[in-house]
Amino acid sequence: MSGPSGAVLTKTVHLPNSHTLDVYRQHGGYEALAIALKKTPDDIIDMVKRSGLRGRGGAGFPAGTKWGFVPKNTDKPKYMCVNADESEPGAFKDRLICAKDPHQLIEGTVIGAFAIGAHRSYIYVRGEFAAEARILDAAIAEARKAGLVGKNILNSGFDCEVTVYRGAGAYICGEETGLIESIEGKRGQPRLKPPFPAVVGLFGCPTVVNNVETLACVPHIVKHGWEWFAGIGTERNTGPKLYGLSGHVVKPGVYEAPMGIPLRKLIDEFGGGVPGGRPIKAVIPGGASCPVLRGDEIDVPMDFDSMTRAGSLFGTGTPVVMDDTCCMVKAAWITARFFAHESCGQCTPCREGAGWLQRLLWKIETGQGEEKDIDTLLSVTDQIEGNTICALGDAAAWPARGFAKKFRDEFIQHIREKRCPLGGGSLN
Amino acid sequence: MANVTLKIDGRSVSVPKGTNLVEAGKTAGVFTPHFCYHPGLPVVGVCRICLVEIEGRPKLVAGCATPAEEGMTVITRSAKVKEARRAVMEFLLIHHPLDCPMCDKGGECTLQDYTVAMSGPATRFKFEKNTWPEEDVGGKLILNKNRCILCLRCVNLCKDVAGIEEIAVLARGEETYIGTIGGQKIENELAGNIADICPVGALTSKDFRFKSRPWELKNSPSVCTLCSKGCNTIVGYHPRRDEVLRFTARENMDVNQWWICDRGRGQFHSIHAPNRLSGPVRRDNGSVKPVLWHEAIPAIAAALKSVIAKSGAGAVGVVASAELTNEELFLARTIFRDKLGVANFDFPARPQPPVVYPKFTIEGDKNPNTRGARALGIAPGQGGRSVRDIIQAAAEGEIRALVFLRGGDLDTFGDAALVARALERVELLVVLDTHASPVSEKAHWVLAGATHVEKDGTYTNSQGRVQRVQRVFTTSRDIREDWRVLQELGLALGAFSERVAGAEELFARLAAANPAFRGLTYTSVGELGAPLASATADVAVG
Repeated sequence: MSGPSGAVLTKTVHLPNSHTLDVYRQHGGYEALAIALKKTPDDIIDMVKRSGLRGRGGAGFPAGTKWGFVPKNTDKPKYMCVNADESEPGAFKDRLICAKDPHQLIEGTVIGAFAIGAHRSYIYVRGEFAAEARILDAAIAEARKAGLVGKNILNSGFDCEVTVYRGAGAYICGEETGLIESIEGKRGQPRLKPPFPAVVGLFGCPTVVNNVETLACVPHIVKHGWEWFAGIGTERNTGPKLYGLSGHVVKPGVYEAPMGIPLRKLIDEFGGGVPGGRPIKAVIPGGASCPVLRGDEIDVPMDFDSMTRAGSLFGTGTPVVMDDTCCMVKAAWITARFFAHESCGQCTPCREGAGWLQRLLWKIETGQGEEKDIDTLLSVTDQIEGNTICALGDAAAWPARGFAKKFRDEFIQHIREKRCPLGGGSLN
Repeated sequence: MANVTLKIDGRSVSVPKGTNLVEAGKTAGVFTPHFCYHPGLPVVGVCRICLVEIEGRPKLVAGCATPAEEGMTVITRSAKVKEARRAVMEFLLIHHPLDCPMCDKGGECTLQDYTVAMSGPATRFKFEKNTWPEEDVGGKLILNKNRCILCLRCVNLCKDVAGIEEIAVLARGEETYIGTIGGQKIENELAGNIADICPVGALTSKDFRFKSRPWELKNSPSVCTLCSKGCNTIVGYHPRRDEVLRFTARENMDVNQWWICDRGRGQFHSIHAPNRLSGPVRRDNGSVKPVLWHEAIPAIAAALKSVIAKSGAGAVGVVASAELTNEELFLARTIFRDKLGVANFDFPARPQPPVVYPKFTIEGDKNPNTRGARALGIAPGQGGRSVRDIIQAAAEGEIRALVFLRGGDLDTFGDAALVARALERVELLVVLDTHASPVSEKAHWVLAGATHVEKDGTYTNSQGRVQRVQRVFTTSRDIREDWRVLQELGLALGAFSERVAGAEELFARLAAANPAFRGLTYTSVGELGAPLASATADVAVG
């Protein structure tokens, strides 16, 4: 759970009571907030822009730029929303921060709110994270008592309420406008964009939605300076990163390392390699929506740009490793089943296409497939991609297409042998 | 508002800033297919059939959700757009039963039309379809979820126009469905519009179900007469069955936009109701017998003349009705007030509480032509009596002959007991009506008139807008258009000496005689109506 020496985001997570205000403050917690409140909001935005911090929720959009989109001259209240709806299969890094270092998140949230001029922040916590929601609630109460949240924070005159809002268990509420709808008490369904949340967001007001880890980086940028942050990682992918490693690795878990660490190094050095020294067949590098990489394609730095160049996506930086015992058709089916289940059902291509992909994959996995099913599958992914309201359609299409293209031979083997060569084809 | 100029499929078009690309396409003469988009509802952008290409943008955009911008180049006929639409159609049809042969919507179904126009020849979906049982959701609607494409028009109509969330989108993914909340029934009185705007056969009208194919109907523009709003409607008449099978909403942005209420929608039932009068009737000392029109009219005229000769015009009371057309009221006024000198001449108000929805109001004035009646001077003459006083005077024996141009429940005209006494006491009671009522049941002469779909004429709605109705069909009943009945009576009474050729000529005379109607003709009134000359002035004076 702890990172290597020099850890930034996970510096204290291994300590007893790391979630308490006392422990957080003993290690310099909330010093950044004091510094930030003496600066101007524009200074903070500028600092975050220069740090190169890119959103850790998957899209990698520059955080400072997003903050800069919030209109300055408006009478409307503004809102800071924290996306703690971490629901992507394979991703479990934000959960660590919520559970073990909630004050780091609260500090980042309040600084972020100060930067965009919001006096109210919501931490939208995934429904299944019941314990984390309680921990966050307790931490907010501690922070409020200590004058770090609420009215006149640290006697600066700045007010900011922070409220935990629990989701009801829908992946789609991690999409920023789905999250906003959900906080408004509506069905979690993404909105048409434009307008973007920075202009018309929560309750129709300017809103920023940031990922947990993104905001957790902010106090460190404020405290140590943007130059320090930009010096970590690579040129366009700066700062420390939490990597959630799972699947066929000896030591699965959350590891902290700079942006841009080679994927193979992450698996071998941090994860301890594959159990029994079996070969790596495939890696989903950044959560279930990212196209799969073959075992021979994993010498890629873990950052947004390198992964895109490699034909996949960095996503949340949470690789799932699969060894040679793993059936690629079944892996594709499990992924497709997830997205079909989580499609909000609002727009046609995703609602209908995701279910179709799932059926086609199950047909192939159970040995009933025909070769033309692979073409149909690929064509259905083309029909979904880019034609939906939000990115969930793409998220459903990419992995199915990735598996079918990268492991076409294995798909064909299923069809020709009319069975799963790896003994799959059942729900177990 | 400022205009923007853009190009759609090579056609340059100028539209107000903010116009979406579906509407801009309409202006340019380029049709953009759409299911979920409806000009009267919020844009949801969910069906994705309106995807279009914009030069310089990598992704297709939903035309309904994209505002036109200056200099934009929109392409709707590229291979990319065609493929996207084919793809959306393929997706929409994977769980759709394609049961057009037994679906009520068949023939007027957007999905059916688009399937023919832009879908592939066959589906590649070879799995079992999701199926659902049929469901009665109230509001005279049947829900068949198998056919639903989740366009959300029904949900948004209830939410946005009626302001009541009685139907909602539930569950998610491909299990998403439309349903009532907690099994409650739809109760708002605008729900019938859902059957009009549902682009598939998912929500169909219980009234119309399995009655007819849409193409068998003869559709004619008309106007609803159940309140003073004057909603524009389409009358669906089935010639082979000789029956009106439905009223649906007809767009008129100045009156009812795209909607009508369920009372108006259901009004067609009354056309063929069992209590319709089937011909003129003479009631004499308890015996009731059908008579011929050419016997009835002179007999009534003679009876009226005899009362006037005996007791003077003051012994006659005429209870007119703002349910009649402008033409009919014009004749009634000419005959009774102007020629016979009947000052006891008035019509009853029929108020009820209005029903106000956020974007639609059912007017409280249940007379469709109050405004016309006022403009035409349907009011007591010098020293004449109001409806209430006419009844009183009849009950007291001062008025000896009563003419009702529409009947109804007794309490329409005053205290029911008093009205009953008045009806018993008069020596001559003539009623012109379409349906039997407690008033016509007492009448010595009952004249069978026409409903608004059986005659030509105009009504003036509460805004002062003159709107036409027309004879949609000729019934087998021995009824007459009311204006013809009045014309014959007028001739028999010597009020005038020549017949007009039709309602249009009658209207021309009315317009020549009444400043409020001056300048209006059937042509200028057209299908969407035209304001009274005084309507705009009324508003200006406030």
